[in-house]
Amino acid sequence: MSKRITLAHGNGGLLMRELVEECFARKLANTHLNTDLDAAQLNLAGNQWAMTTDGFTVQPLFFPGGNIGSLAIHGTANDLAVSGARARYLSLNAFIEEGLPFSELDNIISAMASAANEAKISIVTGDTKVVPRGHGGGIYFATTGIGEKLPEFQLHPNRLQAGDKVIISGPIGNHGIAVMMAREDFGLHSEIQSDSANVWPLVAALRQLKNPNAVKLLRDPTRGGLNMVVHDWSHFSKLGIELCEHSLPIQPEVNTVCNILGYDPLSLACEGRIVAAVESSIAEDLIARWRNQPLGQEAAVIGELTNAHQQVVINTTIGGQRLLSPLEDEPLPRIC
Amino acid sequence: MNTSGAQLWLDKIHQLPELAAPFNLLNVCGGHERSITHAGLRGVLPKGLNLIPGPGCPVCVCPEADIALAIAIAMQANVVLLAFGDLLRVPINRTNPCKLLPKSVKSLSQAKAAGADIQPIASPLEAKKIAAQQPNKTVVFFAAGFETTMAPVAALLTEFFSHSLPRNLLFLISGRKTWPAVRKLLADAESAPIHGLIAPGHVATVMGAHEWQFIPDEFKIPSAIAGFESESLLRAFHSILQQQISHKPQLENCYPQAVKTHGNLHAQTLLDRCFKVTSSQWRGIGSINNSGFTLVPALAELDAHNHYADISLAIHEAYSQNTMPKNCKCAEVVMAKGLPNQCPLYGTSCSPRQPLGPCMVSDEGACRIWWSAGHE
Repeated sequence: MSKRITLAHGNGGLLMRELVEECFARKLANTHLNTDLDAAQLNLAGNQWAMTTDGFTVQPLFFPGGNIGSLAIHGTANDLAVSGARARYLSLNAFIEEGLPFSELDNIISAMASAANEAKISIVTGDTKVVPRGHGGGIYFATTGIGEKLPEFQLHPNRLQAGDKVIISGPIGNHGIAVMMAREDFGLHSEIQSDSANVWPLVAALRQLKNPNAVKLLRDPTRGGLNMVVHDWSHFSKLGIELCEHSLPIQPEVNTVCNILGYDPLSLACEGRIVAAVESSIAEDLIARWRNQPLGQEAAVIGELTNAHQQVVINTTIGGQRLLSPLEDEPLPRIC
Repeated sequence: MNTSGAQLWLDKIHQLPELAAPFNLLNVCGGHERSITHAGLRGVLPKGLNLIPGPGCPVCVCPEADIALAIAIAMQANVVLLAFGDLLRVPINRTNPCKLLPKSVKSLSQAKAAGADIQPIASPLEAKKIAAQQPNKTVVFFAAGFETTMAPVAALLTEFFSHSLPRNLLFLISGRKTWPAVRKLLADAESAPIHGLIAPGHVATVMGAHEWQFIPDEFKIPSAIAGFESESLLRAFHSILQQQISHKPQLENCYPQAVKTHGNLHAQTLLDRCFKVTSSQWRGIGSINNSGFTLVPALAELDAHNHYADISLAIHEAYSQNTMPKNCKCAEVVMAKGLPNQCPLYGTSCSPRQPLGPCMVSDEGACRIWWSAGHE
């Protein structure tokens, strides 16, 4: 039997990175395609634009804090935002499974419209396919977005340097846990809400920094979570990263559910957070500006890039140290 | 984590008299090993206090025959096989000429990618839900685990008596009791000399603290039951060291908020009602008396072994050796005869990407925990 695709090839971890680089990027290579970035950088008619595309297959379709419709808008807008671009236009492909109740579809599209209006994004073209029952999870979306690039930012992995600070805009793990709880698989109940949101206001706030160019790189920690963002940065820059466990914003309820089920909050998806790598000189200024934003009130400096090694290391609260290994397999709940 | 509490106990440990000789402290719970390693406790404890992982992972000790049978059943027509997550990745030996399995399928995960309907689940309740949703399929729940896992499986099984289980739901039970393996380990002259033992908090929550009283009574070594936060673990380490210093081995419950002397009596009643305790195979270790859960005769019609009797017989014959991969030391690691990084395969041909031995598969397996946290 030849090697086959497994779910782990889509979890945002190492296997997915290898799949994208070795299967897609190698064969489809061109001057604009760069898998290190969340969006392509395009010069169209003399203006700078960013373009990105994304797919949404979340189960269940509705979860505390959002649904697949609002998520599709936030996810695409956020990929552009962390590329330093304000999302303007989106295309939308809907793959609807036979049997989906119209009432659910209405709720999903209403949430999508609200999210798009709030972010001032226009959905300008689309396509609809209906697939036979059993061939889809109710509804899947594929979106493509283009956004205007802001001239203030030169975001690129090759600018990362030892001494740069790693900053997160808010608590991690909420979206991953909210979706898991919504599946009702565990017999657990929680009030945890997804953090699904448009992070553009956080990026816009960075324009007010005294030196916006000191922002080196931004990422939204979706699949693979914060874990894969820092591993990608370490991989691209050939630098190490030291995280401080004590500084990681994690809500106690998220921690509790993770402890019970054996999940690592660092590897769970967020849908309304930004991780930033910045020159240390602006870290304090950035934190102050983010904490003035509704989405950034728990922003924190969580680590630093180092040339002492090329790994991701966590300095633990009790004074120990451990390596953070990149996500490989699909995260699964513990057996015991 | 309650940092101040953890720091307090760490300080108390450092205030104890220096260890005169190396002290080997065994933990018998994969969750403990994870907590110890993730918090970096080995780096902050006094030199000479050696924290040794033991048989605390149900995935690591699940025999090849049970996994091979689960694969073979999953590959039958019209079957949905449900299993707890980590079991999907455990590789089995395929040099064995068992015609029931395609030669290249070495794990449930590979069988799934090859087309078998195998679904990872997190709770026994999901098994009932999935069986009810697919009445035209035979749904087989491959239930492996220790007492903590088998108690909720028993809660589901008792629904058979009230006729509320879907009729298409079968059970492939691979459950084990922990203390018989720990007793065997402590009695085994080839294991590392064990000077103290951290008893498993989750198992004690179900079975009661008293089940671990045999440690000080029979083996005369200090012991303590610990929870999974650094504070609880450090409190237990402190208790054990203090018992050692005062030459008064006992069992201290350092997880009193969850563990009672007699445990969860309701859960024990469920276990007794659904399972009989028999001798059981442990992978690479062999048979241990009174260490396995099998279904009581009243539940025989739910037993996948009976429904697939021919397959079960053929698989058990083919996998009767219950082997480990060549040069794999997982069985030695589980029985405290070696540490993960003393295995010649560790981090070379065996890694989380391509695990050869079961201890590198599971998030509760000592090898995976050590390798993922940077132990070389």
